[in-house]
Amino acid sequence: MTTGALALEMRDISKSFPGVRALEGVSFDCAAGEVHAVCGENGAGKSTLIKVLGGVYRPDAGTILISGTERSFARPADARAAGVSIIHQELSLLAHRTVAENVFLGLEPTRFFRLDRGAMRLGTARLLQRLSSTIDPDTRAGDLSVAEQQIVEIAKALAFDARILVMDEPTAALDEVDAKRLLALVGKLRQQGVAIVYISHRMSELAAVADRISVMKDGRKVITAAASALPTDRIVRLMVGRDLAEFYPPRSQAPPGPPLLEIASGGNGVLAEIELTVRAGEIVGVAGLEGSGKTALARAIFGDRPFERGTVSVAGVAREIRSPRAAIADGVGFLPNDRKRDGLSLQRSPRDNVLLTLRAFAPALARAAGGAMTDSIADSLLRRVDVRAARLDGEIRLLSGGNQQKVIVGRWLARDPKILIFCEPTRGIDIAAKAAIYQIMRDLASRGRAILLVSSDLPEIIGLSDRIVVMRGGRIVGACEGGASEEAVMALAVDHHGDAAIAQPTEAGAAL
Amino acid sequence: MTAIVSRAPRPRRAPPVPLFLFVGSLVLYVGVALWTGQTSQLQTDGWVGLLQRMVALGIVSVGQTFVILCASIDLSVANLISVGAVAASFIMQGRDSMMLPAVAVVLTISVVVGAINGAIIAGLRVNPLIATLGVGLVLQGLLSASFTDFAGSVPQAFQAFAYGALGPVPYSVLGLFALALAAWLTLGATRFGAHLYAVGGNAEGARLAGVRTNLVMVSAHVICSVLAGVTGLYLASRLRSGAPWVGRDGVYDLESIAVVVIGGTLLAGGRGGVWGTLAGVLLFATLDAALNMLGVPAYPKLILRGAIVILAVAAYAARTREHVA
Repeated sequence: MTTGALALEMRDISKSFPGVRALEGVSFDCAAGEVHAVCGENGAGKSTLIKVLGGVYRPDAGTILISGTERSFARPADARAAGVSIIHQELSLLAHRTVAENVFLGLEPTRFFRLDRGAMRLGTARLLQRLSSTIDPDTRAGDLSVAEQQIVEIAKALAFDARILVMDEPTAALDEVDAKRLLALVGKLRQQGVAIVYISHRMSELAAVADRISVMKDGRKVITAAASALPTDRIVRLMVGRDLAEFYPPRSQAPPGPPLLEIASGGNGVLAEIELTVRAGEIVGVAGLEGSGKTALARAIFGDRPFERGTVSVAGVAREIRSPRAAIADGVGFLPNDRKRDGLSLQRSPRDNVLLTLRAFAPALARAAGGAMTDSIADSLLRRVDVRAARLDGEIRLLSGGNQQKVIVGRWLARDPKILIFCEPTRGIDIAAKAAIYQIMRDLASRGRAILLVSSDLPEIIGLSDRIVVMRGGRIVGACEGGASEEAVMALAVDHHGDAAIAQPTEAGAAL
Repeated sequence: MTAIVSRAPRPRRAPPVPLFLFVGSLVLYVGVALWTGQTSQLQTDGWVGLLQRMVALGIVSVGQTFVILCASIDLSVANLISVGAVAASFIMQGRDSMMLPAVAVVLTISVVVGAINGAIIAGLRVNPLIATLGVGLVLQGLLSASFTDFAGSVPQAFQAFAYGALGPVPYSVLGLFALALAAWLTLGATRFGAHLYAVGGNAEGARLAGVRTNLVMVSAHVICSVLAGVTGLYLASRLRSGAPWVGRDGVYDLESIAVVVIGGTLLAGGRGGVWGTLAGVLLFATLDAALNMLGVPAYPKLILRGAIVILAVAAYAARTREHVA
């Protein structure tokens, strides 16, 4: 199956942290011109493996061979010097610096101690051209879209003459169209002889891009096989030990109840002519490309960037929702798309985090009496969403993404809102936690709540929603039934006529 | 060849802050001079006086710019300035022969203090606010234990630093602008400068890109401390002797931070530059001069300075929101 000499060989790598065996005798290799995908649940050891390869951690045992020569990396710079570049899940670009400055960070060419900006610009333009991109090297990185930033990250990796490129969930923050473009780019790099280690939670990508797939579970490698020999359902079974069929909970057969959320001709700087009704018992999916306004819609309903035109009714009563606090008071809940930035107090405990909204609305006297402060309330909420943590009073940043997300869900259960908006609820979390969150969402709906699911993950929207609305250019441009084909949704999401979609509203939508 | 990604529309760039501050300061100065009828302030001597007001705060603020750009801060500069001024005049004792040794000692002390600041912050991971506050207190303690009043004096020749001039322009003013030019080149045109911005923008990202972040942090602090030491030398030359309170009385720690921030450098690091800082220094000098012309006493000046710092940062915040939203 391999197409060239082995660019990378990791042999019997083991790594322990206090109390955890993160990696146990993992062997892994990747040939030049090959895409070798790695999948596994969070905590399966993928990140540790990558960090060992990138020189962030030193392995307790095992050897790393680069092009057949044994190497050991004491720090990230050593790995880069050996031709290993890692594109981390969290983008690390400097927002205030230009693309060229970012690409050449750490290897700036100089002439008589002066930065050779011409060479940086030219080199960057060449690298970007190799990636078929027309990004201007003088643009500030912070002005780029997420997809463009991802391309710059790849250019940055190639600037180090990377022969081994590790991509850690590169499409996690991208919508379907940009993700497809990125996959095409991966194929192109493979043709250029780069060895690519590709980590992803999106099963459909693996089939599209990988030559071989390795599955990890509990710090061990379970299997390495040709991608063609590993159908998706088998991968999922290997990862979690159960079938894909149980993944999305069945839709409710009962007819939906009364409308809980009604928006009529809603609009603001980003959105226009929003007409949307969500009924009790329904999960309504909101699909759309990056910049389509789907996140803006969620934030408008939640009063973060409120509607300036139109009317919003909650459970049949017209409401003026001007702030998140007003939204919460009216019975709306919101799970933000960036849970680390907008959702959590990372240094505080799961208990503190789950009680945050309850405390925000507790009367001052009740607070003194300990009403909203008690651990028992927190613990019962955390139990309801099945948070698994060694310590409920430890720092929440130490929990897996899936457990962090469950804590935020628990925070809203405490208020029991009528309408709950989920923004990218499963971004970057593992399959078992995904399934658990889907189940919670469906349970909430069948208990008569209205659920709005805003997501860039099309299979998720299609598998979970009762109805789907599709957004483009700040407007709702169409609707599909749940279970519609991806093609049907995409046809609405992309603009076939190629004209008005890049109207003014899109600009602000992309920045949200 | 088609673009692989759709291009996001670029936000328009706001006009450069330093230019706005420079022009605003000059308009304020000329306006007040004309309004109060003190047209003599618009002669060469008046302008030179205005520029001379910038020197002490200017030198230390250029240093402060370096550390703030890499997301650190230095609260020890005021006390280090006192140490430098006292050490210089105490060692010189009015003797020409001791000028070079005194300067060498002050600069050495400054390098050591800067290295200690940087090492505590980068090595021990102590919050820079606390680290430099602590080092500053230690310096002040050592100084106050040893000196209670003006110590020694500087010789006539050393006073040329503050009082000498090339034609109508004092050496010190020329020196400040030469320093700003050098700092500008260092920040904008050298690898060290690029790494400084990188550490300030995203220290972990810079480290993963192979930048030696600890070295950058220590270097920035050494530069800042050396410039504080130079400010101490300048004050000794200007006052003809050094006293253990010169730095504190000038509030150089907080004022240097204030002008850096007014000049548009992010307190969080990663963006800004030295011309903004210099414009902030000019604004403070202009305010002083203008309020003197208006005959306003000292305390309203402080109130005005405080208000300006807050207004400036609020203006930047509003502008950032405009970009984000």
